[in-house]
Amino acid sequence: MIGSMDMGVRIGDLVMPNPVGVASGTFGYGQEYEPLVDADALGALYTKAVTPEPRRGNPAPRLVDTPAGMLNSIGLANPGLDAFIAEKLPGLRARRCSVVVNVAGKTEDDYLRVLERLEAEDGIDGYEINVSCPNVAHGGLAFGTDPAQVERLTRRLADARTRGGARRPIIVKLSPNVTDICVVAKAAEAGGADAVSCINTLVGMVIDVKAKRTTLAMGTGGLSGPAIRPVGVACVYKVSRAVSIPVIGLGGICDADDALQYLLAGAVAVQLGTAVFSRPEAPLEALEGIRAFMEKEGLSSVADIGALLL
Amino acid sequence: MKRLDTTVSSIRQVAEGYYELRFAWPAQGGDEPGPGRFVTIRAGGRYDPALRRPFAFSDYRAGAAGEGGEAAIVFQVRGRGTAHMAGLRPGDSLDALGPLGKGFGRPARGARPVLVAGGIGVGPMLYLAATLAEDAAAGLCEAPILAMGFRNAAFAPDIDLPAGAVICTDDGSSGFKGTVADWLAGFDPGSPPAFYACGPAPMMAAVARLAEARRAPYEAAVEQWMACGVGACAGCAVPVKSGGFVRACVDGPVLDGSIVDWEASR
Ligand SMILES: Cc1cc2nc3c(=O)[nH]c(=O)nc-3n(C[C@H](O)[C@H](O)[C@H](O)COP(=O)(O)OP(=O)(O)OC[C@H]3O[C@@H](n4cnc5c(N)ncnc54)[C@H](O)[C@@H]3O)c2cc1C
Ligand SMILES: Cc1cc2nc3c(=O)[nH]c(=O)nc-3n(C[C@H](O)[C@H](O)[C@H](O)COP(=O)(O)O)c2cc1C
Ligand code: FES
Repeated sequence: MIGSMDMGVRIGDLVMPNPVGVASGTFGYGQEYEPLVDADALGALYTKAVTPEPRRGNPAPRLVDTPAGMLNSIGLANPGLDAFIAEKLPGLRARRCSVVVNVAGKTEDDYLRVLERLEAEDGIDGYEINVSCPNVAHGGLAFGTDPAQVERLTRRLADARTRGGARRPIIVKLSPNVTDICVVAKAAEAGGADAVSCINTLVGMVIDVKAKRTTLAMGTGGLSGPAIRPVGVACVYKVSRAVSIPVIGLGGICDADDALQYLLAGAVAVQLGTAVFSRPEAPLEALEGIRAFMEKEGLSSVADIGALLL
Repeated sequence: MKRLDTTVSSIRQVAEGYYELRFAWPAQGGDEPGPGRFVTIRAGGRYDPALRRPFAFSDYRAGAAGEGGEAAIVFQVRGRGTAHMAGLRPGDSLDALGPLGKGFGRPARGARPVLVAGGIGVGPMLYLAATLAEDAAAGLCEAPILAMGFRNAAFAPDIDLPAGAVICTDDGSSGFKGTVADWLAGFDPGSPPAFYACGPAPMMAAVARLAEARRAPYEAAVEQWMACGVGACAGCAVPVKSGGFVRACVDGPVLDGSIVDWEASR
């Protein structure tokens, strides 16, 4: 609560302290940005994807700058489940914000392995299921475009939650690289997801004309940043009307106005990713701006913002 | 590391397409700029370009106690970010984040530092040369040699060069005619050499071969596209010979040149 306003956001059994999070893959495990960002003041920290085995990631170059955005083909580089628990989780446990672990794998069993193992660990508040990474050959987007598989995977993960008490929400992260994102969102809901987040990156390519080859070693990458914001807002608008579970919005959010577009479109919370690279102070500035907006509009809860859309 | 809203103190063209930018840099309690370390600059609008641009420090002068100091970079105009920066004027505000990354180490006592620079590597190597010249004066190492390679005389910077600086040009319009690698092949360092380099990939690879042949240490400052600059995104991967990658921004940019897979770097 800030004054008489309730900045909290409910996702399943979890209440995030406020609606502003930092997106998976852009904020590491929280320590990297110290002392630039007070991560404890965030609503949620979504970790880099965790896979069962360590992953080196894709060949370099993995990044390229594009008009009002960037392409990345990191390829889910991460130290793997064991090292995540031993090296990264202790720092995350101490966080006051909600900690959501982004889960990925090549097979359904990979996702299960990560979730089952993390159920035994304290200091995690939720899981974001990455079925939307465009930069890996197996898993990732290959899952996210098949509604039947999304439903089955979500159900297996939802049922694998063994901890007593409050259940950690399953947030299925959706890809915009599909004909109808609502079909996949409904599949996640049918499988028992507590929420969906959208959007992950859009598949893109840059060709270096002088060198006559793609700039990224992998050829394609995922487009993020302000360039994709209108796509994300439209997805959230459609998805929030297609499902009854909460929707978390992201894609190109840089400031409070951008975040409010998503909240007005029907999201209950937002994440900032690429914007953090340029201005690490952006997430907390956006939070301040949302608060000021609520004050001006006389709202007492973040959840009331969506109803303002005419 | 800190994000600073600082101010341009001066900007001047030092060679064809190259500028030296100086800006206020307050002391940050022990975490100071050094040769090989870098700063990222927001070059243009708030979010377009979406990524900050990394530049190695070319100089840093700490201020007197309680006063701000001054840092500098030497940059080449390559694209839209650096084109924007070339238009900066004294007094303009500058969004800078740093100091970032690991800088150069010091050579063993009695070693001859051999510094090799090309293109955008000139800034950090001039800074390192100045620092090692002070070390040499204090008897900590032999006087450094700085070999710089350019296409022609127009690209050689109009900056006070340290004693022991050698200019190589491809066309012989200034100094030695040929590449730095050609010059180094015929150079006798006298004492056991310690190699340091920053510049284009073929030059970095050539120094790696030379260092290996002479069984000499080699500290290489690498360049790779960066997004976060703080180790969070794994975007700045540099391939290493053992397989896998290191991150240019936090594991480097100064790396042991013998571990980098120069063939796989592009
Ligand atoms: C650690 C480090 C130190 C550097 N030090 C210097 C220096 O002292 N002086 C200097 O002139 N340049 C330096 N560079 C390179 C400099 O960052 C790029 O030239 C600059 O970002 C180009 O931006 P642009 O918008 O003008 O060009 P763009 O049109 O965006 O790109 C032109 C080329 O610049 C490179 N580049 C662009 N953005 C980045 C980025 N975010 N990270 C890395 N490379 C990029 C790419 O190779 C690209 O093909 C350094 C790079 C790194 C990683
Ligand atoms: C460098 C980078 C790495 C990313 N890694 C992941 C990841 O591991 N898992 C995931 O679900 N999304 C990942 N994403 C996608 C972002 O979380 C986010 O969905 C996307 O970038 C759109 O938001 P933005 O425009 O605010 O960045 C990554 C994005 C970037 C730029
Ligand atoms: S630039 Fe993000 S890890 Fe190096």
